Amino acid sequence: MVSIVFAGVGGQGVITVAIMVGRAAVAEGKNALMTELHGMAQRGGRISVEVRIGDYKSAIIPTGSADALVAFEELEAVRNISKLKEGGIVLLNRRRIHPVSMTIRLQNYPEDIVEERLGRVNKVDVDADQVALNLGNKKVANTVMIGALYSTGILGINEESLVSAMKESLPEKHWAVNMQAFEEGKKLTGLSVANIA
Amino acid sequence: MVLEPLLGPEGRTEFLLGNEAVARGIYEAGVSVASTYPGTPSSEIGDVLYRTSAQMGIKFEYCTNEKVALEVAAAASAGGLRSFVFMKHVGLNVAMDSFVSLSGSGVKGGMVVLSADDPSMHSSQNEQDNRFLGKFAKVIVVEPSSPQELKDFILYAFDLSEEVGHPVLVRSVTRISHIRAPVRLGKAREKNSWGYRRNTSYVLMPENAYAAQASIADRIERAASSRFREAFDSSYGESPTLIITSGAAYNYIDEALEMLNVRARILKIGMSFPLNRERVMEEIGKAQRVVFVEEGGPFIEEQVLALCALNSIKKEFYGKMNGFVPTSYEMDVDRTAGFLSKIFGIEMDVKKDESIVPRREPVLCPGCPHRATYYVARMAMKQAGIRNPIAPTDIGCYTLGYYEPYQLGDFCLSMGSSVGSSSGFAMNSTEKVVSFIGDSTFFHAGIPALVNAYHNNHNFVLVIMDNSVTAMTGGQPTPETSPPFRRVDIESVVRGIGIKNVFVMDPYDLKNSLETFKKALRSDDLAVVISRRECALEADRKRSPADAKVFTINQDKCNQCYNCVKNFSCAAFYTEDGKVYIDGELCDGCSVCSEPLVCPFNAIEVKD
Ligand code: SF4
Ligand code: SF4
Repeated sequence: MVSIVFAGVGGQGVITVAIMVGRAAVAEGKNALMTELHGMAQRGGRISVEVRIGDYKSAIIPTGSADALVAFEELEAVRNISKLKEGGIVLLNRRRIHPVSMTIRLQNYPEDIVEERLGRVNKVDVDADQVALNLGNKKVANTVMIGALYSTGILGINEESLVSAMKESLPEKHWAVNMQAFEEGKKLTGLSVANIA
Repeated sequence: MVLEPLLGPEGRTEFLLGNEAVARGIYEAGVSVASTYPGTPSSEIGDVLYRTSAQMGIKFEYCTNEKVALEVAAAASAGGLRSFVFMKHVGLNVAMDSFVSLSGSGVKGGMVVLSADDPSMHSSQNEQDNRFLGKFAKVIVVEPSSPQELKDFILYAFDLSEEVGHPVLVRSVTRISHIRAPVRLGKAREKNSWGYRRNTSYVLMPENAYAAQASIADRIERAASSRFREAFDSSYGESPTLIITSGAAYNYIDEALEMLNVRARILKIGMSFPLNRERVMEEIGKAQRVVFVEEGGPFIEEQVLALCALNSIKKEFYGKMNGFVPTSYEMDVDRTAGFLSKIFGIEMDVKKDESIVPRREPVLCPGCPHRATYYVARMAMKQAGIRNPIAPTDIGCYTLGYYEPYQLGDFCLSMGSSVGSSSGFAMNSTEKVVSFIGDSTFFHAGIPALVNAYHNNHNFVLVIMDNSVTAMTGGQPTPETSPPFRRVDIESVVRGIGIKNVFVMDPYDLKNSLETFKKALRSDDLAVVISRRECALEADRKRSPADAKVFTINQDKCNQCYNCVKNFSCAAFYTEDGKVYIDGELCDGCSVCSEPLVCPFNAIEVKD
């Protein structure tokens, strides 16, 4: 049984990542639930997706009980931190997307809030955007995140299931670069599957 | 290969969105006709059908509004076909006129209406509980709890509807329609064949309507005792405490009870109107106390309490009507554990997160033509000396014009209300009325209101923000979409009413748009500005990556006047230590910010 929050900003592909994880679990015959919220904005609004694998009925994760928070954006990591259980892990993509209401007031990105709140938890930085750029395709940042999440071992699903779920969701011409991104992601957390699972 | 899981073979289990399960469900149920007007949280049903309905053998169409959609489906059902119409909760208000009569007419082919309610208003103007509308219209109401049940209940609902000759309302909510879960695919049934025969009940003139009333009661009674009723309700657990629940609220109870370490017997109601009275009374008879846990209003609670009163049954009751269970917002495990703990008399420590996180308001996309329209509108009004415009707005992405810095959005009740309310404001106010509506919303409910404004001599400026797509719900077609459909031209519609002051502008061209807008403001009669430019997301989908451009700020030229961030305010701009930047990942390359009317110093340039 595992509960994971995926958080980010509309347009970052947060939902796509969560679907792949859920599909992989279902392909293994597991129960998986996912809840996604679409706010009013098509792009740029906050997005959080919750995925639970195991014998659950509620897709919404109770406060303080998520095993992991996979954040695609720093402020959104902070916004969702209350869902994380004690000792839970945060995978943080170092990406900052400035809220427009702060920009209008010429405010800087609220770095101090991010550092202060995330400094207290078990956090692993994943520079997914940079890795993706190095691979020559910034769109595969999400797949880097999946790789990183997989390497923590908390998913409890096989690599093969994840890989085939990814392939089912992607046109064949994008398979190679996504597999590379997945492999790169796996290296990023410095954790080994055996340690945790 | 990207798979189409919805057309998979019987027996496969797929990870489906509730709305996708609905589409699969109607395919399995042998539906021939489906119709809708897009609305979140029901939109994806249409997205799927738009893609796959031909393969499913379903005639599917996007209608101009929910009332039309319901009538399209009702006619198909009168001809013996199974038909399905779906909408967001407030859409049922639009369809209500025909919906109420439908229960009088009855149906021939099974007919199911799905309403996706939105407790907590994630993307809506209210959280009305449409089970009450179902009962009000005397339509059978069923409420699934999960994507699998959405699919299953739709099958049972069609069978029931056809058996008793009565429409069924399926009530979903955001946390069912937008949940993903494993769904086991079943077999697709054969479809009914067309066989329309005249029937007096299809024409509800007073004489026929009088007779229909009696038959409604009869059909509801038959539904209450139908063999299908067993398919909807379930119960389990041993305890003197009975929890009567339904819909999404059900999903949170087991985990909440576990959290509190207490037990209860659960009666999960799937058909909440008409109730299976014998079963409910039997369960209540065995219980010491009864707790009602529903999302929305006390729908089942009121009916059960009425039954208990009639049968002189006294128990301890806990629900919304005596304040133990909250009446607003969606449920979850935390909330459910919270009120159950009080009912069970258990102390619970509530974890509170004190930190304040800066808000992230929803915003118009980078490159959105609405931003340019609002920017021009503000500037034109300022130059025309209009300080305090009254700006009714409407339902769509452009409602975001309400936020800073545009702040053009003063009044918005429902689809099309910008135009109707403009008549009311213009009739009474001395301030200039400038209102905003999108193309899809204009077709949906704006046209009759504009006819009213012209006919009754009201003077205001209506801006139709025409991006040729239903954007907020994910880019569905509109009456302007062509081919394969026939294009309805907004300008011809407006001119056809008789309105003379019609102005068309391309909002990306700020300079000319400003002049056009000022002309419209100066006209002393009803004026319509059609601000026409394709939705940025649609344009993105069509553009080849090679043509993508990104803009950047030339810091040597930037004078830090901040006009771009404070007044134009593209979501791709940001500032750090007083310097303005453009986030290259977000910039859509629309180039509007590089026009002198945004940056007077020509500091915004294409990045090479
Ligand atoms: S409008 Fe031009 S000069 Fe003014 S702050 Fe923006 S980029 Fe700089
Ligand atoms: S070109 Fe300018 S206005 Fe257009 S998306 Fe980029 S930053 Fe925004």
